[in-house]
Amino acid sequence: MSDINAVPRTDKAAADDVRVGVYVCHCGGNISDVVDTAAVADALSHHPDVAIARDYVFMCSDPGQSLIVDDIKAGKINRVVVAACSPSLHELTFRKALERAGLNPYLYEHVNIREQTSWVHKGDHERATRKAIRLTAAGVEKVARQDPLESIAVDVVPHVVVIGGGIAGMSAAVALAERGIGVTLIEASDRLGGRVAELPSVYPTEQTGEDLIRELRDHLFVEPLIEVRLRSRVTAMEGHVGKFRLLVTDADGASAEVRAGAIILATGFDHYRPADGELGYGTSPSVMTLPEFLGVLRDGSLANGELRIGQKTVKSIAFIHCVGSRQIEGVHAPQADGKVNDYCSRVCCTATLHAIREVQRRCPDIAIYDLHKDIRTYGRGHEDLYLQASRDGALFFRYPDEEPPVVADRSGAAVVTTKDVLTWGEELEIPADLVVLATGMQPRDISDLIAMRKLPVGADRFLQEVHPKLRPVEMAVNGVVLAGACQGPVDIGEACAAAQTAAAKAAILLSKPVIELDPFVAHVQEDLCDGCELCLAECEYQGALTMVEVQNDGGSVRRARVNPALCAGCGACAAVCPPRAINVAGWTLDQFDAMVDAIVAEDVESLARSERRARSFAPLAVTIGEASR
Amino acid sequence: MRSEDDLKILIITTLISSYPGANTVGQARLQYSPGTYIIRVPDPVMFPDDFYIQSLKKGIDGIIVMSSGSDCPYEGAYARLSARISRVYGRMKELGIPTNRLKLTTVCTVCKAAFLKEIREMQQAVLSDAAAAAA
Repeated sequence: MSDINAVPRTDKAAADDVRVGVYVCHCGGNISDVVDTAAVADALSHHPDVAIARDYVFMCSDPGQSLIVDDIKAGKINRVVVAACSPSLHELTFRKALERAGLNPYLYEHVNIREQTSWVHKGDHERATRKAIRLTAAGVEKVARQDPLESIAVDVVPHVVVIGGGIAGMSAAVALAERGIGVTLIEASDRLGGRVAELPSVYPTEQTGEDLIRELRDHLFVEPLIEVRLRSRVTAMEGHVGKFRLLVTDADGASAEVRAGAIILATGFDHYRPADGELGYGTSPSVMTLPEFLGVLRDGSLANGELRIGQKTVKSIAFIHCVGSRQIEGVHAPQADGKVNDYCSRVCCTATLHAIREVQRRCPDIAIYDLHKDIRTYGRGHEDLYLQASRDGALFFRYPDEEPPVVADRSGAAVVTTKDVLTWGEELEIPADLVVLATGMQPRDISDLIAMRKLPVGADRFLQEVHPKLRPVEMAVNGVVLAGACQGPVDIGEACAAAQTAAAKAAILLSKPVIELDPFVAHVQEDLCDGCELCLAECEYQGALTMVEVQNDGGSVRRARVNPALCAGCGACAAVCPPRAINVAGWTLDQFDAMVDAIVAEDVESLARSERRARSFAPLAVTIGEASR
Repeated sequence: MRSEDDLKILIITTLISSYPGANTVGQARLQYSPGTYIIRVPDPVMFPDDFYIQSLKKGIDGIIVMSSGSDCPYEGAYARLSARISRVYGRMKELGIPTNRLKLTTVCTVCKAAFLKEIREMQQAVLSDAAAAAA
């Protein structure tokens, strides 16, 4: 039995009987103060596909929505265009109104004549009105060619796989278990806790990283809904949102299949490792990275008011910021992919100052020099570290972006040469017993996982969300969400916040036995498909588009077929299909052609009554079900 | 002589970045020419080469494709779109259509200045082509 089906809806609109209702909103005066809304409605009333055209003071109000509902229920219209504000505000409002009236909610088009017309053309009412007429006519042309669409229903496995056992992965796993959702937590190393467990203390609680992790770990190991697999990796992944199948292989080579409805990626980051000789790293025994220095703080080398590195007692330390971050082309050597790390790693300023405070507290006699491009202690209370370090004698020097400091080794001691912007470019030579490089974060190499699901990666090589503000933890691959530093540099608090968000997203996704997905995915009109397979080469989403044998006139022919749960709806396939057999539902090329016709038309009357191509999209339940098997 | 008032600039925006970007321009009440028609798509990679040529032939004066650039959430889509636009430029040259009437650019949700700059530049390009043709 298929696990994916169309959700049946009531649809009163017949394909060959197009009667569009056009509703032009005044938005109080936000629109009608500039656009002559009555003139727009009047012009559209002459469109051959328009049965009713009205203007009203607030279409989103209950009486405004009732206009639409009543016209549908009276059988006057079977498609709707509302010309109003941005669709991001009220597209859903009006779709629900259609649904209440018994009409397929996707037989609707929203035209933006506020943010993109009245608000930006205040000085030219006449041309703003002409533009509103053309845009609304384009909306009519689009909706006239719109087919009823059905949400895609996918059966759900109520289980989540979390990949990565650092603080973000652990936090997400615990949050899911608290909601009653089973979790398999997969960690490549032999311990949980990731990078946080290595920290000698964390700001502002001053707990050790290990203490912080222990709180989560104690919770995690007694939670019956969480299965932890250490020394394990995901070696294969297939399926789709609601039903992913992952092959998990342990260090002994034993593999097991794990099924999940959603996946949380919490694969973390790698510390930037300076190249040999970069700022003396690897060539001078007096140079180490900040993570290495934190290891020194943790292992007890700093005790009794004295810091010893090897046989040497350290009397002075120079900290250099932005090593491996905020790099500049032409100044810094590129990474393996030919690009420099031009992003800010965000946490190293605070981490460096926190380490400085630790030294000042325990060894107040050690001289501290801090060389930075600028200090970015952006978090709540983080600026205090800077002020306290400065108050207790740390000397701060600001080096120019294009001229990073130079570290030389002189008889086993380091000498740092730099220019100081704060003293108008004065050149300084700073002898230091120890140089600590504040290295940034880099994306961890998870190219195997990326290749398995074609996961989107940003220009900075970190995993990329759909939208940094509106959908900050979701990926374009449905059912895969992000937690923590796999997405970009974050501090511990941000990693945990992202993990909670990711857990909430996954929990919402799995809260019902069936997921309803948007229907805006590719569809194939089989009677137009000639089996040329050009579309296959364009599709980046494994399994989304396949060729199948179908019976035709007593023979067997090959036709493209879409698995809607795997299709991302980008439309790359549509662009290369010569007979236009494949389109993204709701966004067909015929619709866009007709919209352009309306924009260039002299007037609305000149637009011909729509000749809707007889469509024969295979019924969703059949197409999707077969494709998913 | 054509003026800015006569032009019809088609602006193709993406649901996830440049369409909200156009809204941001409106929310800031920044003004631009009414001869601009914004359509929204999941991703402009869905348009075949011919869509651009036919739109220009139908009477669209200039097309600005405001993509999500390297931030596009669809794997490989921007590279494909970029390659396609390059091919369209080739066809435009063959057909004698000035290539500056089609522009691929990147506009995000908060790129107000870039949005307005692209419109201004397209208008200037179309008008200077028209002036040159008239001369």
